[in-house]
Amino acid sequence: MTATSSDREQLRPGLWATVNERYPGSMITTPDLVPLARLEKPLAESRLTFVSTAGVQPKGTLPFDVVHPVGDYSFRRVPATAEPADLEIHQLKYPTVGANRDLNVIFPIERLRELATEGVIGGLTPHLFSFIGYNMDPERLERTLAEEIAAAVVADGAEAALLAPA
Amino acid sequence: MQRAIERRGIPTVSVTVARDVTEHLKPPRAVFVPFMMGHHFGVPFHRGLQRRIILEALDRLTQAEQSGEIHAIPTTWAQARREGIAIEKELGLRT
Repeated sequence: MTATSSDREQLRPGLWATVNERYPGSMITTPDLVPLARLEKPLAESRLTFVSTAGVQPKGTLPFDVVHPVGDYSFRRVPATAEPADLEIHQLKYPTVGANRDLNVIFPIERLRELATEGVIGGLTPHLFSFIGYNMDPERLERTLAEEIAAAVVADGAEAALLAPA
Repeated sequence: MQRAIERRGIPTVSVTVARDVTEHLKPPRAVFVPFMMGHHFGVPFHRGLQRRIILEALDRLTQAEQSGEIHAIPTTWAQARREGIAIEKELGLRT
């Protein structure tokens, strides 16, 4: 079957407007574009990091505060060597029906390691990064958490970054 | 977040299931998949699809020419689910 254009539309249309109606002011609209940075080396030589809003965290670390009314503005470092069994998810805002059976559908740590082993990417940073997407103050998020994670990504020696906003 | 990383000189790409949110946010590079929330890389045990989504996203690091482009990956959620069910049957996880 050939995919039609309507097949390719998002499964939950109007998400931005829906969330903004329910939580006024929580959704970001950015007027400008950021100039593209360029890879300094081929991808096969570049160290990749992964940043996720999925609320994935190593078992035993302080769980994300999923019931705080304005959200949790902290993040967790996930060792790139972690196995899915070492990790757990704390969040309430997206369906985890798939992730509960195979974490790679939202936090593809095993697939990323395979690509590093095969030499498709130059390697992974020592840590991957995770936080929760339920944050009701976008200005605070941009001022604090975004900058803190960006600094941590740089400190980990990342040369490219893959992100998955859940 | 993505913009903060890109501003530090590190090229970034995101995988999104909400094209409209991404259009508002204007990250430097993004790929869109028409999948269920929380299933950005597909369905359980479908390693090939999970890998493909990652690779198509990473391709944007070298292929994207303009900031803000959202590249749609030609697939459907129905197709991903069908393939996932077939894989689970092969693995004996589903009858």
